[in-house]
Amino acid sequence: MTTPEPLRPPPAPDSGRPDSGPPARVRVTAPRTSARPSTGTYPVTREMAEHSAVGEVFVGSLIRSQLRLALVVAGGFLIILIGIPVLLGLFPSIREVTVFTVPVPWLLLGLGVYPLSIACAALYVRSASRNEKRFQDLIDEG
Amino acid sequence: MRADEVGDAFGLNPAVGYAALLLVAVTTLLIGIYGLRISRTTGDFYVASRTVRPWWNASAIGGEYLSAASFLGVAGLILISGTDALWFPIGYTAGYLMLLLFVAAPLRRSGAYTIPDFAQARLESLPARRVTSLLVIVVGWLYIVPQLHGAALTVSITTGLPAWVGPLAVVVVVCAGVMGGGMRSITFVQAFQYWLKLTALAVPAVFILLRLGVEGLPVTDGGAAFTADLNTTAGASLYSTGSLVIALLFGTLGLPHVLVRFYTNPDGASARRTTLIVLALLSVFYLFPTLFGILGRIYTPDLAVPGAADATVLMLPGRIFYGAAGDALTAFVTAGAFAAFLSTSSGLVVSLAGVVSQEFFSGSVRGFRRAAVLSTLVPLVLALLTDSLALAGSVGSVFAFTASTLCPLLLLGIWWRGLTDAGAVAGMLAGAVLCGGSILTAALLGPEAASLDWLRQPALWTVPAAFLVMIVVSRATRGRRPAGTSRVLARLHTPEAPGPRLAGPKAEPSVD
Repeated sequence: MTTPEPLRPPPAPDSGRPDSGPPARVRVTAPRTSARPSTGTYPVTREMAEHSAVGEVFVGSLIRSQLRLALVVAGGFLIILIGIPVLLGLFPSIREVTVFTVPVPWLLLGLGVYPLSIACAALYVRSASRNEKRFQDLIDEG
Repeated sequence: MRADEVGDAFGLNPAVGYAALLLVAVTTLLIGIYGLRISRTTGDFYVASRTVRPWWNASAIGGEYLSAASFLGVAGLILISGTDALWFPIGYTAGYLMLLLFVAAPLRRSGAYTIPDFAQARLESLPARRVTSLLVIVVGWLYIVPQLHGAALTVSITTGLPAWVGPLAVVVVVCAGVMGGGMRSITFVQAFQYWLKLTALAVPAVFILLRLGVEGLPVTDGGAAFTADLNTTAGASLYSTGSLVIALLFGTLGLPHVLVRFYTNPDGASARRTTLIVLALLSVFYLFPTLFGILGRIYTPDLAVPGAADATVLMLPGRIFYGAAGDALTAFVTAGAFAAFLSTSSGLVVSLAGVVSQEFFSGSVRGFRRAAVLSTLVPLVLALLTDSLALAGSVGSVFAFTASTLCPLLLLGIWWRGLTDAGAVAGMLAGAVLCGGSILTAALLGPEAASLDWLRQPALWTVPAAFLVMIVVSRATRGRRPAGTSRVLARLHTPEAPGPRLAGPKAEPSVD
């Protein structure tokens, strides 16, 4: 049995400690109600661009397009998912069809749904990144 | 038939059980101790300093997520309910699709450690934070209990020891591991345990299929394995199937131990990649419990009674192989089962301890350790006082509760400008009372509630009700909309700027 080999991480830019020598013990005494920002930086110019009137419009349209995308993918997936029992209820004869002795309902629910959900997820990841890229280009131009 | 009688009746070799349990416990502790040597800061303790890569992270999420309900419960349910049970793994997996679509990237960008942190940052309200913390703690406790029931079942079947030994062993190992290394070492432990769980089902499955093929023994018995006559439960109505699927799909969104994992991604885009990998890992995994369940319908039909069905995975290898080969394969699945309780429980304890220590112990490392002990003791007492009937079912109720409380908060908080603190609190409390109330009522009514699907599977009406209350109250308290809403939403949804984060130590920014 091989145990995973934990890699010593490169010092994270936000770790706030020097990158030489062993890491020092840190005692935190104040309540921590917010985490460090994510590792991507958030430049002031960018922030200003986003909070200008035009920037607000861009952000608003990004949020709307991401939400629309998420709803479309979720809706499509749910319709197919709900469609399976509805179809089986409407046409009970499907239950009798077998492939290598395995009835179709078992095949659909036991095997078929998984590739479907992975396909939906892959489609979403691609489209969501494209939306973000479009937004980034707009902000960078502006 | 009680769980411990099943083991006696079928004469599993106790030495095999001991060996498997020891092996998993020792490996887990070793990885935990190794992790301790490299986790030093509070950041390491809480979220592994965000240096975990998507594959590691995805394996860790899978390892943490695949609980007793998945490892033992799914096969057990297939044994007694046939196709109706197939909805459980579908829901468990597709929950990650919903998480990907609505939550993964924005939540990572929120920069909060826990759901209560998110609530406070988004709603700028301390009461909203407190209510969220309370719900997270309740969900965590409720979710650990079935893990401990699973441990009780596994330990008593495989070793013949009394049922309380299993939960106690899990609690001790989890506490030691969590207090030792916190989140960083847990990430390694969890990632290892996904692959352990997969192997623990895949290897016996391959051997079993090979033997059945070689000996010409029936695999599906010419399709007889699939007939509904083998089911010992009544078929589920369309309502209860739909309600279950809603609970599982949207309950995953709010599970505290799943969400905290997303903070270990470096940015929103990698949070999405991680989720996609998780979806694939879960899809592969669930093929095996399904296979075990189908084979169980032919080879372990005697287990098809409530309380014993969850033992299907553990008993099946011994029914097909005898002697040393059977013992070895049984040891394999036992190790996998134990890994399932350990990983889910330790993931839950880490996230719970994070919340409890921030809320009550001022967020220090020592507070985290105290909180970890507290987070394991309560569910241990609950588990020892209660009795489990079906693992997948009790986990399903926790999902329904999460879907009715934390899920609306996250979805509306991320996507809707209009959410106010009053609306969020009202919605969460309404969901908690409606959903918790119906599940409790159904439990108290016992067998009389068997036909009351709307009580036993309340998600289909309690989730929309929680959303509705949240929206209506938010509209009514329009004036309480937090001033920073559009800033927070911009933060959640805009991609991180590329650049210095790749430049290494030279670009040491003075954030924090």
